[in-house]
Amino acid sequence: MDRNQIAKWLKSPDKMARKYSLGAVYFCTGCGIIEIPPVITSRWDAERFGVVAAPSPRHANLFLITGYVAVKTLKAIIRTYEQMPEPKYTVAFGSCPINGGMYWDSYNTIKHLDKYIPIDGWIAGCMPRPEAIFIAVTKLWMMIDKDAANGYIRYREHYDYYRRNQEKVLGKLAWPPLYPLNKSIEVERKESKSKEYKEKELLSVSE
Amino acid sequence: MDNALEKEIKSKFVGIEVFIPQKDRMTIKIKKENLVDILSFLKDKEFNYLTAVTCVDWIDENEFELVYHLSSFRDPTHIMIKKRIPRENPSFTSIIPIFKNSQTYEREIHELFGIYFEGNPRLIPLFLENWKDKPPFRKDFDTREYVKETYDSIPTLEEYK
Amino acid sequence: MVIKIIQIIVYPILAFIIGIFFIGLSRKMMARIHRRYGPPITQPLIDLIRFFYQKGFSHGSIFNFGIILSLAGSIVVLLFIPFGRMSPLSSSGGLLVILYIMLFAPLGVALSGGEGANPNISIGISRKLILSLGYEVPFLLIILAIMTYYKTTSITEIVKIQQEAGWALFSIPLFLPGIAYLLILPAIIGMRPFDIVSAPQEISSGPMVEYSGKYLALVHIEHAFTLFIGIALFINLFLGGATNIGFFFLKMIVLFVIVLIVNAVFPRYRVEQAIKYLWKWPTLIAFVGLILTKIPIF
Repeated sequence: MDRNQIAKWLKSPDKMARKYSLGAVYFCTGCGIIEIPPVITSRWDAERFGVVAAPSPRHANLFLITGYVAVKTLKAIIRTYEQMPEPKYTVAFGSCPINGGMYWDSYNTIKHLDKYIPIDGWIAGCMPRPEAIFIAVTKLWMMIDKDAANGYIRYREHYDYYRRNQEKVLGKLAWPPLYPLNKSIEVERKESKSKEYKEKELLSVSE
Repeated sequence: MDNALEKEIKSKFVGIEVFIPQKDRMTIKIKKENLVDILSFLKDKEFNYLTAVTCVDWIDENEFELVYHLSSFRDPTHIMIKKRIPRENPSFTSIIPIFKNSQTYEREIHELFGIYFEGNPRLIPLFLENWKDKPPFRKDFDTREYVKETYDSIPTLEEYK
Repeated sequence: MVIKIIQIIVYPILAFIIGIFFIGLSRKMMARIHRRYGPPITQPLIDLIRFFYQKGFSHGSIFNFGIILSLAGSIVVLLFIPFGRMSPLSSSGGLLVILYIMLFAPLGVALSGGEGANPNISIGISRKLILSLGYEVPFLLIILAIMTYYKTTSITEIVKIQQEAGWALFSIPLFLPGIAYLLILPAIIGMRPFDIVSAPQEISSGPMVEYSGKYLALVHIEHAFTLFIGIALFINLFLGGATNIGFFFLKMIVLFVIVLIVNAVFPRYRVEQAIKYLWKWPTLIAFVGLILTKIPIF
């Protein structure tokens, strides 16, 4: 760790401060919730790396997605991700956000999470061990040094791609777009027809 | 205990089949009787806890089979009551007046199999979000085709650019 | 005159440094009590620098103004408390001014809570005001006891008398109010068992939940000032103050470590249990102490 090098602090304080104070929104759904308490308690201590639990997404820096993502969970993830302030990093645990993992042919889980929100790094494993999580944190530091952890910039520049994919899976979203969209996505939305399965009662019930 | 109960059920309702596969288990198959009568009869006989309501899709015989699981707190006995309903436009009556906790089980079966329960006030989606296809637990729903169509057809960011 | 202006500028900076050091010390000591390594002692400073470099959201101009009001209130209270020989704003009614300006901090956050539309903010503010109601009753009895015994309302006078005649904690009539003040000190500075206001797990940090970016940094600075004020007031009123800054800092560390050990062991009270506690024993002890100061033998 180069936390004690004062020269580096004076040269680029923003990178050093973002590295060594990662406030994490522990979005614990799926299988990974069982791996978070060992990481933050006494045996494998995450607070010495500067990683601390943030009580609200408005105070947070790092977004941890632990495990598989169902379609209902994706709605909550998008709302939480859009509330976080700007330089934000996302790390995904396990093999389910990479390519579907164990649920590769399920009708209700998301296979590649990178198409819906931008992800900076993946940790392999089903679930990864706490030592793997710490190695991932140090790799994230190296990425921040080289300016390679720019998921939030990708989200801002290609927002219509992400919003189009989110609407394909979730239907019409209830919140307005975060950044202004291009004109082309409005035309596409009117032209697409979704196939409806005509059954007696299934269409009449809705939330 | 089970033999006495079996004799009592057979004497009261004619034409139903009762099996005892092993100790403390009983299976009852109904063809034309009223399910509500048998459930109320068993509820008075100390079987007052509805454990679950499940469903089986017999696609070759063109029928759905609803299974009601009852158990008792006094004896360690478990009773399954099976009822077949036809597969086109499936609908059935709800047993909420007898067991109030069957509301969520019937909601789940309605969402995943497509069976309509008359009398259930809350048949809204439980797990699925924005679902526009067949009910997914039926045996003629091809999950691999659905995944290829919905999720794998989305291009990655490089292909989009 | 010039010295006073320099003191007014330097004093909040010193208080900020000491407050940040105390927050870092509390995190490190709690980690060591839990038998793990902790963050470095400068970790709250790194958090502050990170907050300043984040581009946060704002809910409107009244939302931003609320936190600035509460920070200004804290700085004004700070300037009335003598720190060693530094006491920029000292007057004959200093103790009374502190009593009512100390309530600017939660009122400023309550002003901005109306604009940020989150119910957690209103829950947090109502808890803070109920808790203030709880600890103000014994607090006023204690201050009344001190004012009756020393026959003055200026803190610099009280410090001067104590440096000649011995600490107030060890004089017979004021021993009981001192114990009562120690019992309510966690409620004033917001440490466990009374950290009901910013409860991170229950109401996602109460009034602070919608701040982000540089305003969140101001919230943390204000928290550092509150910590400094709470401890410095006790040392000036009961432990004699000090003639220079070094001894004052030593007394602050000893007192803070005692409060921290209580913080590490206890869980959190509910608000009605807190009021039941605060209105029972500390009030009784302070009231007995107040009666004892009127007896002319002491």
